[in-house]
Amino acid sequence: MTIIQVRDLSFTYAGSSKPALKNVNISVEKGEFVLVVGPSGGGKSTLLRCLNGLIPQFYEGEYSGKVVVDGLEPDKTPTYMMSQVIGMVFQNPQNQLFALSVEADIAFPLENLGLPRDEIIQRVEEAMELLNITHLRDRSPFELSGGQQQRVAIASVLAIKPKILAMDEPTSFLDPLTAAQLLSIIDDVRKRLQLTVLLVEHRVELAAAKADRIVVVSDGCVVFDGSPRDFFEFYDSHLYGVSSPKVTSLSKRLKTHLEKWNRVCLSAEEFEAEVRSLVSHL
Amino acid sequence: MSLFEGLRFRPGTTFVHRLDPRVKLATSTMVLITAVIHIDIVIILFLLMLESLVILSAKVQNLWIKTIRGALPLVAIVFAITFFSQYSREPVISTGLGYALTYSLRLLVFLSSFSLFFLTTTPDEIALTLQQLRVPYEYTFAFVSAIRFTPVMAEELQVVLDAQRARGLEVDKGPFTKRLRNLIPVLVPLLVNVIRRSYELAEAMEVKCFGASRKRTSLKQLNMRRKDIFFLVVVLILFSVGVSVKLLGLEPVKTLPLLGQFFPD
Amino acid sequence: MSAIFESVHYIYPSKVHALRGVSLEFRPGELVALMGENGSGKTTLLKHINGLLKPVKGRVIVEGIDTRTASVAQLSQVAGLVFQNAEEMFFESNVFDEVAFALRNFGYSEEVVRKRVEWALKFFELDTYSSQSPFLLSGGEKKRLAMAIILAWSPRIICLDEPTIGQDSLQKEKMKHMIKMLNTQGRTVLLATHDVEFVAELRPRVILLSKGEVVADGKCEEILTDETLVKKASILMPQLVYAFKRLEDLGFDSRVLDVDDGVRQVLKVLRHESV
Repeated sequence: MTIIQVRDLSFTYAGSSKPALKNVNISVEKGEFVLVVGPSGGGKSTLLRCLNGLIPQFYEGEYSGKVVVDGLEPDKTPTYMMSQVIGMVFQNPQNQLFALSVEADIAFPLENLGLPRDEIIQRVEEAMELLNITHLRDRSPFELSGGQQQRVAIASVLAIKPKILAMDEPTSFLDPLTAAQLLSIIDDVRKRLQLTVLLVEHRVELAAAKADRIVVVSDGCVVFDGSPRDFFEFYDSHLYGVSSPKVTSLSKRLKTHLEKWNRVCLSAEEFEAEVRSLVSHL
Repeated sequence: MSLFEGLRFRPGTTFVHRLDPRVKLATSTMVLITAVIHIDIVIILFLLMLESLVILSAKVQNLWIKTIRGALPLVAIVFAITFFSQYSREPVISTGLGYALTYSLRLLVFLSSFSLFFLTTTPDEIALTLQQLRVPYEYTFAFVSAIRFTPVMAEELQVVLDAQRARGLEVDKGPFTKRLRNLIPVLVPLLVNVIRRSYELAEAMEVKCFGASRKRTSLKQLNMRRKDIFFLVVVLILFSVGVSVKLLGLEPVKTLPLLGQFFPD
Repeated sequence: MSAIFESVHYIYPSKVHALRGVSLEFRPGELVALMGENGSGKTTLLKHINGLLKPVKGRVIVEGIDTRTASVAQLSQVAGLVFQNAEEMFFESNVFDEVAFALRNFGYSEEVVRKRVEWALKFFELDTYSSQSPFLLSGGEKKRLAMAIILAWSPRIICLDEPTIGQDSLQKEKMKHMIKMLNTQGRTVLLATHDVEFVAELRPRVILLSKGEVVADGKCEEILTDETLVKKASILMPQLVYAFKRLEDLGFDSRVLDVDDGVRQVLKVLRHESV
């Protein structure tokens, strides 16, 4: 079932002469994990903002084309209604937390929606458990590490119970180890809640193996839309500002040296399996 | 850094900390009214003594002393102004001193009653109080964000200062006009960051459904318990005694004649 | 010596003990990466080199100057520090003045200022933007401008705090070349970073910090391939090292930092066994 349908979407920010998106077409199936990559300033963030209506409602400009997200048209639907379908997590965790405690921050959107108190309490507990932050309940966001802050931000978005989770470089303020941990939590949560996920991410080496699909946005256009393996195998990802995972480059090279080398690997685990199978067939 | 420490609010555990903030706010207000309607030094001293007892039982005396020390210049100014204005009207030193002393002490009572409230109430509780007093949510939100982002901004200021010092900026060097100009490299980046931050915050508020419902609900609620009501009753009784004393003209000691004995003209 | 740390302790006013007896020597012309998780003391260490922070205990000597006896402005001329968010520190109306700001602070004549600014802008491929507002540059250009600002006065030591954070692979590639070039000019370059893949490509001397202490100091090849050390510093291992570690039982050597090494290893094992 298609949950996101983007047709001929173009957008130019007010005051800019260059379009940020040009005739973009994408459709996303329910439950898919889509990785959105591309060079800085290529239009990745703009695309995400078109899906929840921040564009053209919060950021004005010239908008054309049609976007349908779970039956709603984001350009005509109030953002608070879109947020109940598609949750959005931003880059800087510091600027998404408003309250003075973790608990209050997760409750914030629910309070805004005017949900009954019992339900708020229940959803806050669930969201904290899901992201493993129950022990941080009374802490103020200022005291938390970047990774913890980002988990709180995700929890507060998930408490709204959206079907889709869209994230705009959620790990770019984190160190690699914390980033890796956050990405595996995201992957775990997505599976448990059967969420559709759109993730804009520079750290492809940490995310590529988990994604079902990769969409490459460069210069306002979708230049690739398909499986991560195909992208890295047939394209020079570096040209699109995307560093390929080291094992991917390595397996690509090995493929040219060894006939029996089967596939381009996206993770260390895949690489290990490949080598082991070759060794056992010697 | 120590500034940030001060902004990390931990709920205290004493009886005063755990009182319903609305009761505390009401108490502070009543103390204030009592101090305003009386100019009798004994009553003012009595109020100050009551406040000290509460401060001690809340174990916030150190912070309270800090606040008062900070306010001392203000107290001194009030003392001087009262003295001279009284003296110019009626050139009697004792009366002047009497008024000056009473007014200064009164100011101390004001300050103490409010610092007591703020020192023993977390910002969260203050926000809840505002909310339950039906203050529009926008104001409560503004209050909470101010508290939330003060340490963030302070940290940012430090980073900008450091970065510009690494570019050879010497903030406190040179004549006054140069020092003013030196602020530009610090203030411009800070301002740019504030604008960027406010955009990001507004975006995040949008996706977190800010303003979605007229009837905003709340995760937490303030509940009056038995001890809150008991405390409130005690305060109300004391307050009505204080007001009656004034209305019936029953002040125990007339301040000014008392002082007159020490400073015969 | 470029810089010497003699059992340096630093404690922030918030009582955080950020450096606990750090002793290090940086030789002229060295390329060094300081690695460790957030809060391990990397940035605190860099701030000691240009005197923004002075040791609470111990001494820091930079190009022969005890940092406690000199001002930040004096030390900065010897040791330039590019902050993590240096691109958020712009305030002038054009790129030229932005670079010239520090040079004017240091009292260079307008003639020298002009020459140096032009040289620095050229080096970082920004010369065409000279009269443009720094705020209109792209993310990568801003990062390069931040470096140009520091390089303009040609400090002998260059400290970069997280130069690759938030950068795409094209920008990182450029950054790598710039760093190599600066280093081949004989400057001492110190990076504070957690980007292991970036470090694996640069092959600098690596110093691992954990909780304010030096836990390892040596060649990149030795340190980043040492599982225990890497764990101790809470950093991520380079992906290739991690992949080959899992294959050690098949006779693979896990000290693989780049793709060429990897290809050689795999071919050696597979071809050798097939013979």
